[in-house]
Amino acid sequence: MLSHVMRHEARSLAADRTLQAVALLFGAILVYALANGVAWLRVQETTLASAAADDLTRREALAAQIRALEDGTATPAGGDPRAPATLGGARGARLAALPPGPLGALAAGQGDLLPFYYQVSLASNDQSFVQNGEIENPLNLMVGRFDLAFVLIFVLPLLILVVSYNLISAEREQGTLALTLAQPVPLATVVGGKVALRALVVLGAAVALTLAGALIVETDRPGALVLWTVSVTLYALFWFALAVAVNALGRGSAWNATVLVGAWLALVVVVPALVNVAAHLIHPLPSRVEMITAQRDASNDAVNRRSELLARYYEDHPEMVQGLALDTANAAARSWAATEEVNRRLSEVASRYEARLAEQHRLIGRWRFLSPALLAQDALLDAAGTGDARFGRFRGQVMEFAEAWKAFFVPHVLAGTHLSSADLEAVPEFRFVEEPPGALARRVAAPLLVLTGLTLVVAGVGLRLLSRYPVLG
Amino acid sequence: MSATNVGPELRAETAPAQPKGAVLEATGLTRRYGDLAAVDGLDLSVHPGEIYCLLGPNGAGKTTTINLFLGFVAPTSGSARVGGLDVATHPLETKHHLAYIPEQVMLYRNLTGVENLEYFATLAGKGALPRTDLLRILGEAGLPAVAAERRVGTYSKGMRQRVGIAIAIAKGAEALLLDEPTSGLDPKASNEFSALLDGMRQRGVAVLMATHDLFRAKENGTRVGIMRHGRLVVEMTTAELGHADLERVYLDHMRD
Amino acid sequence: MIGHIARKELAELVRDGRFRWAAAIVAGLLLVSAGAGWTRYRDVSAQHAAAAAATRAHWLGQGEKNPHSAAHYGIYAFKPRLPLSFLDQGVDEFAGTTVWLEAHRQNDFMMRPAQDATAAQRFGNATAAGVLQLLVPLLVVLLAFGAFAGEREQGTLRQTLALGVSRTQVAWGKALGIAGALALLLVPAALLGAAALLLGSAGAVAPTFGRGAVLVAVYLAYFGVFLAVSLAVSARASSSRLALLVLLGFWAVNGLIAPRVAVDLSKRLDPAPTAFEFARAIQAELSEPMDVARLEREVLDQYGVETLDALPVNFAGIRLQASEEHGDVVFDRHYGALWDAFGRQSRTHEAIGALSPLLAVRALSMGLAGTDVEQHRHFAAAAEAYRRSLVKAMNDDLAFSSVGVAAYAAGPELWESVPAFTYEAPRLASVLGSRTMSLIVLGLWVLGSLLVAAGAVRRAPVD
Repeated sequence: MLSHVMRHEARSLAADRTLQAVALLFGAILVYALANGVAWLRVQETTLASAAADDLTRREALAAQIRALEDGTATPAGGDPRAPATLGGARGARLAALPPGPLGALAAGQGDLLPFYYQVSLASNDQSFVQNGEIENPLNLMVGRFDLAFVLIFVLPLLILVVSYNLISAEREQGTLALTLAQPVPLATVVGGKVALRALVVLGAAVALTLAGALIVETDRPGALVLWTVSVTLYALFWFALAVAVNALGRGSAWNATVLVGAWLALVVVVPALVNVAAHLIHPLPSRVEMITAQRDASNDAVNRRSELLARYYEDHPEMVQGLALDTANAAARSWAATEEVNRRLSEVASRYEARLAEQHRLIGRWRFLSPALLAQDALLDAAGTGDARFGRFRGQVMEFAEAWKAFFVPHVLAGTHLSSADLEAVPEFRFVEEPPGALARRVAAPLLVLTGLTLVVAGVGLRLLSRYPVLG
Repeated sequence: MSATNVGPELRAETAPAQPKGAVLEATGLTRRYGDLAAVDGLDLSVHPGEIYCLLGPNGAGKTTTINLFLGFVAPTSGSARVGGLDVATHPLETKHHLAYIPEQVMLYRNLTGVENLEYFATLAGKGALPRTDLLRILGEAGLPAVAAERRVGTYSKGMRQRVGIAIAIAKGAEALLLDEPTSGLDPKASNEFSALLDGMRQRGVAVLMATHDLFRAKENGTRVGIMRHGRLVVEMTTAELGHADLERVYLDHMRD
Repeated sequence: MIGHIARKELAELVRDGRFRWAAAIVAGLLLVSAGAGWTRYRDVSAQHAAAAAATRAHWLGQGEKNPHSAAHYGIYAFKPRLPLSFLDQGVDEFAGTTVWLEAHRQNDFMMRPAQDATAAQRFGNATAAGVLQLLVPLLVVLLAFGAFAGEREQGTLRQTLALGVSRTQVAWGKALGIAGALALLLVPAALLGAAALLLGSAGAVAPTFGRGAVLVAVYLAYFGVFLAVSLAVSARASSSRLALLVLLGFWAVNGLIAPRVAVDLSKRLDPAPTAFEFARAIQAELSEPMDVARLEREVLDQYGVETLDALPVNFAGIRLQASEEHGDVVFDRHYGALWDAFGRQSRTHEAIGALSPLLAVRALSMGLAGTDVEQHRHFAAAAEAYRRSLVKAMNDDLAFSSVGVAAYAAGPELWESVPAFTYEAPRLASVLGSRTMSLIVLGLWVLGSLLVAAGAVRRAPVD
């Protein structure tokens, strides 16, 4: 019976060209969005490739210089590349890169705002990892990209509403409802068939383009693809359920359209915008700008107290000193101690800031349950690997890497020893470790479960109302 | 030339005359909207092969009666039974026995007559009928094959009604509910419709028709009931009516 | 006659529960978002003022040191907010707020607030501008879609016209009635905003009110366009349902699709370099060695001496300044090209305003609020000019005051001789001058929608 209603609907919609128009429009939008996403992915890949090539060239040049010095074919001039402050400093800086997410072409996400590669050296501190990113026109950042995620989160619901705002009301307005209900079929079955056909067309197009995108970027993570598809399906079903529930109230088509657009506006535009504003009002952040003042205070202070700081540093880090006497300490060691003091004081300010930021983010995390659009964005970006979680994980790993880098070079700095070409092999390398699929699935489970729950509740209300649908009037 | 008030004794006399039980049966059927009783204690039965014409002014409760048989409106008290089953408790099963022709048969304008029939027949649980059958049924309902292949948007009211009849035929409905079928039809179409209706009667279908058309009622009806304020105030067979002037009877009962 | 129709229309709308609900929601959102914007304006202004004072104090308090060290130490500049930014925060969350002004380098802006936010931020903040650009037009659509189509369905249009009223009179009456209903909502909001500005903004209020008056005119024109388009569609649509659908489609293209299309299109037309390419290109040009020998010759010739030691000036200072100027050329070229690319991208956005009046209105709104990319560039240019004057002051001091001194160190007098950084926002005329395209586009929309509405109304079918 369901398939019969679906066939009939397909024929009806095709006959008044609605289906073709919607499918064509949606298809064109999806293709455009995918093309944009793939172009952005290529930009990232090119950038990472040039950064990696640059990194390699720099390292090989340094290695060659060191070998030449060791062979005696060259004499030290300027900064000696064997000095730990040089090799571990800006000249020897190491690239730490985040590869594009498994479905990065489908959702730019935070990728155009948050850095996806850093140069890590002894000069890196907490400040280095909150700053900079890809160059982008702030106007474009503000508006956001036309990618698949945008189409699915914003346009898909509108499209669903366009094809289903008059699911039942049209039948009543054109008078066919009475004849339909004179047949021994429950209204819910007829509505189910209508929804099933529309969902098939709309979701079919969305999923087909997702698969096309996954093929183009040759993703090796089928799990991400499944997660993406499930999220899109649940989100779309929520909107279908809402359309059914509003239709089941038994009002006219124009009323339905108004209410549904109002609901779209509220859930997709207004609630997220209010959540952002409320988060700022409830947990205002201390100013980042204050960190600049703090940093200056700290560094002014540190420069004046270098020797004292070095002594304290030695007390704090006996493992780094390896039996050195204070008076043998070199200029680099003094400078390092000052840098560390600045970093330590900066970290205090930064961690206070991060704590407040975390509170704000937790609040937004709780309040995202108010809007299916926020939930869907969460799930989609996590599936695509361009969400906050993956970027946060990257930053965390880079900061750990920076620590490892220090642990490797600082003893040499303090001892005032040079490195040899043999040591080059042991210099730490960065490699991003992806979140295990299980952990990702567990994290995304919450938004998806809530989305499912919302959909079921709305659908349940809709079905209840349907069973009492006023045929007349 | 006097109208006969129909009491229970009359129905008791006519009921045994019918070979089978009533297909449509209302017992003490009442529907109230607040203080207003749209249908008030209605007792009525329509048997196979009968055309029961329900007359009465606007607001007398004719359409509500039909809606009660369709289950579109729930009774306040009493019951409407179709094929022996209570509509209120068996909303879907009773619809297997019914076909409904509203005042305006509204169909999917962008689909052809055949496509509309196929859709509704399948909804009625008849499975997918072959195309030749659909065309034959439409033909029986008086819609030529050329017309049946056109989109319904181009149809006149009479042509749409024929699709409605075709649905009834395809469905094998035992009862046909009609609401003002002849209003707005030209005399020729109205006449053709009468013939179709008579055909249905001969197939043994029980027909309940709400109408203002006294002429058609006398012509087609095997029985005539006049409603006022939700009550059946008179019921007579057309045979009883004889040469009596139905209009006179009707107007007599409209007086306060 | 028109006034009579308008009064009837207004009475109908005000009695309509749907209008009351929608108006209450829009008014509430307007209030909340403007209030939040005001808080943010106040907080950011206070933070930036404090930080600017602190960075100046650091500069003055750096003690005795070599002027070149002082130039390396540098100062920070913080982009101030204009009072009207409480209505439209524009690109402020996404452009940096702070730049370090130091020797040798033009730095990028840092501290983009959006980088500290979650992905939810990408949905945008609730701002008064957002309410005015998206929600009020929707309200206009909902008020006006039935103006003709609905009356046609009720049969009242036939009756009205039979009384000898012209269609144009009906249209003007409806337009005034709807405008009156909107005024009930917007006039108090505008008065409240003006009062807040008057009471809450520091400094001269005249420029703010100049900008504010233009802002009001821009938004009125925008609502007028929506009203005219809605009446035109309602006049011609075969049913009110169709009118509503068409108008909602226009609204969605205007507010949702066109702005995003502009993003990717503008980037394709005028690509900006990636951060990596940009940095590498600058580095490559900066590391091209400067012709020091030539500079030496020139300076020796200028002073008519034979050796550097015989110079009455410190050549180190001269050389530093020369290398600074060598770098400035490189920075001017690259940053200039980058900002120009951004500028062309902005103009693509404005040009797409031909499809979506929102884009023209948004550009004007951000411009008047002082939060668009162009005023960001204006600030960046002012900060860079200050950086160069500061570094030059240090180099000149080194060149002319340190002759023959072994370990030269300048003191507080030098630091104080550099005036504090102050920034003056561009004047209204120059803001509007940079937004002529949007002004023209919006003007065309007003004119076009009026003409179309007039034509559509005259040919509106009776039923």
